[in-house]
Parts: sequence; C-alpha cells; structure tokens
Amino acid sequence: MSPSVLICDDSNMARKQVLKSLPEQWRDNVQTATNGAEALTILRGNTIDVLFLDLTMPGIDGVGVLQGIEKLNVNCNVFVISADIQPEMQSKVLNLGAKEFIRKPVKPDVLQNHLQEHGLL
Amino acid sequence: MNPFQLTEDQQDCLQELINVAMGQASDQLARYLDTFVYLKVPSIESVNADNLSRSIDQHQATVAVVSQGFFGYEGIRGEALLIYQDEDSERIADLLGYEPDELSQDEQLIDISSILTTTFLNVFASQIDNQMSYSAPKLLPSSQNSLSTHLEQMTFSWDLALKVNIHYQVTDYSFNCNMVLLIPETAINNIKVVLDRILEEF
Repeated sequence: MSPSVLICDDSNMARKQVLKSLPEQWRDNVQTATNGAEALTILRGNTIDVLFLDLTMPGIDGVGVLQGIEKLNVNCNVFVISADIQPEMQSKVLNLGAKEFIRKPVKPDVLQNHLQEHGLL
Repeated sequence: MNPFQLTEDQQDCLQELINVAMGQASDQLARYLDTFVYLKVPSIESVNADNLSRSIDQHQATVAVVSQGFFGYEGIRGEALLIYQDEDSERIADLLGYEPDELSQDEQLIDISSILTTTFLNVFASQIDNQMSYSAPKLLPSSQNSLSTHLEQMTFSWDLALKVNIHYQVTDYSFNCNMVLLIPETAINNIKVVLDRILEEF
C-alpha cells in the first residue's frame, strides 16, 4: 500500500513539481495544502505518513507547521522543500524534527534518493 | 487585476522563480554578513511611472538607492533598485566589521547591492535558461528628486512596469533593505512567453 502524502506549498507550480517527483505508485494518495494552517488541519484529522513542506508561506509558515506537529505529537515524516537554503535555516528545521532539507526546485531523483535513505521506498 | 494580464498560472510561476532566486540571494547575503536573513513572501504588482517615483520619493530624504540595469536574451530586461534607510546604511560598516576609512559607506552599499542583485538575477536567469548582463551599479545622489530623474532617464522608456518588491531583513542587527525590480511592459510580454514555456511542462 502506498503511504498517505501531504504536499504543503503556497505555489501551485511547486506543488505540481513535488507531485511529479513522487514515485508513480505514490501519486494516488496525495492531499495538498496551500498554507500552514490548512496543513495543520489536515494533520489533525488524518494519518499522514509523509509531509513535503515549504517554508516561506503567508500566515503559518513551514517552521510554524513543524512546531505545530511537535505540539500535536503526530508521527509523520517531514521533508522540507524550500528556497530558503541558509545553513541556519537548514539546521533549524532539522532540529525541529524534519528528516531532510531539500532545495527548490525539487528534482525527482533527488527526492526519491532521500525517500530511499529514510527507508520509505 | 494587473494590466499585464498575467494569468493566475503565469503569476504563480513567476512568483516561484522569484522565491528560488530570493532564497539564494539571501543565502549569499547571510554568508557575506555572517548572519541570518529573514525572508517574507515577495510582492509582485504593476505600477505606472508617475506613481512609482512619487511613492519612493516620499522617503527621498532618508534613503540611499543603488541602481543597476540588467538585460538578458529574448528581450528580458529591467532595473534593480536597492533601497536602504539612512540608519541601515550607517550600520553597514559595523555589520561588515570594517575599520573606519577601510571602505567608504558608498562602496559598502554598492558591494552589498551587487551581491544581492547579481545573485538574484543570475539564479532567476538560469531557471529560465537565460543569462544576464549588467550595467555598472550606480549610487544615486541623495539630492531631492534624484530617483525620479534617474527613473526618467533609464535606457528604456516605460509607462507601466511590473514591480517586484523583496524585503531582506537581517534580524541580528535590525538591518533592512528592499530590492525593487522594475520590468518594463515590453519585457513583461517577453517574460510571459518564457513562463508559458515553463508551464507547458506541467
């Protein structure tokens, strides 16, 4: 069975880039959120195995989502996919529990390598 | 509604290209200043020439502006303005750890501006398989109306432009600067063609 996936990014194009980078058998079980608040609502009501998370978003941003996940105490593999590549930001999100930091624009081979490294593929 | 009639998809695509470029420009700034740059979602809007100089001129007495023209293939061109408040330009020497007189404040402003402008535009260009050339960065004289005069004298004439506003905020030192890109209407039409080409892949 393919894992349940949530893609959170305020850009439609970025969400499509992530979707197209997923292994084919994963693409049927995907939900999307256009901001952090939507993502947290979905995370509260559903079991999400893998979350692909943008950082710079209006309202609750990616860091806010990671903090929310900590509070909700949900078990979810978070892969941050962001244009904010500053080393300090990368270590901040990893400290907040993200599995990996992936720089935008995401590429299928890079994303799938990371999924493999974490035993998800 | 913007007069360029960028479709929702074109606007979204442009915004995403800008986000990636902004991210790498702030990474360069962060490394240069050895600090962290806090990023916000950039704004994209259309402006006309009159409104633009008036809105920036209101702060004329308190700002330093570095301006640099850029041009790529396929008729993509524009002007990048780096706008600093007086208090920010005064903090630059501290940020850079320079001794007094090592490098003038003007030179420091031009240095930082060039890092931001060229990194941003090179990354933007590479995403659309383009390449940018630049005119020399110019620190505008801080006299009244120098910005509006400069805008009037730009090598391309324009009435309408797309204005991209990016705010770079260095939290540790409360240092801020705004990068304003002005892309004249003819260049926007050329960018739309490029955006459609990218969107076709999706």
